[in-house]
Amino acid sequence: MGKEIYKQLTIRNAVDELNRVVVFLEQLEEECQLPAGCMLPINLVLEEALSNVIFYAYEEGSSQEIHINVEYVAPRLVITIKDTGKPFDPTQKEDPNLNLPVEERPIGGLGIFLMRKIMDEISYERLGKENILRMTKIM
Amino acid sequence: MNITHKAIEQGIRVAIEGRIDTTNYNEFEQAMNLLFEEKTKAIYLDCSGLSYISSSGLRVFLTVQKKMMATGGKFLLFSMQPTIKEIFDISGFSSIFSIFDTEESALQHSPV
Repeated sequence: MGKEIYKQLTIRNAVDELNRVVVFLEQLEEECQLPAGCMLPINLVLEEALSNVIFYAYEEGSSQEIHINVEYVAPRLVITIKDTGKPFDPTQKEDPNLNLPVEERPIGGLGIFLMRKIMDEISYERLGKENILRMTKIM
Repeated sequence: MNITHKAIEQGIRVAIEGRIDTTNYNEFEQAMNLLFEEKTKAIYLDCSGLSYISSSGLRVFLTVQKKMMATGGKFLLFSMQPTIKEIFDISGFSSIFSIFDTEESALQHSPV
């Protein structure tokens, strides 16, 4: 039988909450008995997705919850992020041009690109007042 | 995150330890900005202790590279952990940065 782990974390829309996500992923790595370090790209993906919600989804000063749900059914890791902020579909963002020389490379725009490159599948839906971002990776 | 630096013959050697993420990338940026004030011709960055980097950290790397290029200086990275190197590869950063396996090979690379 493959390993099955279900885990949840709710954070507030504040930057320092990302530190809780790091601890959450460290625990997950251990519980899933995955090799050390393999959650690092997952950490990056989650940080990008959550930063977008934390910085842009809500009016400044409003304290909101963001829900993170993880299902690991070896070897498949599915992470779902739910928030009730402004509708935002990261799957619709255009990829940056990686062939530009350094002088012309824009400073931003990398985050969502990295999410796509690291995960095997990303889907978005707006359901009622919720943004639901579902990301899958075969570990 | 811990950043230390010392002057060496070829320029400045900087060592970074820990994580660079959304919560602390500005500390890294400020530390690097202080080094520019000294008009250094080359920055050698020891990445062996760098355990994690997110896109906010990568942005600082790109900013440093742009500034160094604008002043004719060099920004050389060495001893990067494989997981970090992989992120650089995916971002297309490996082709715009000088990344060396060892400190020795980075230092052998002439700054001018």
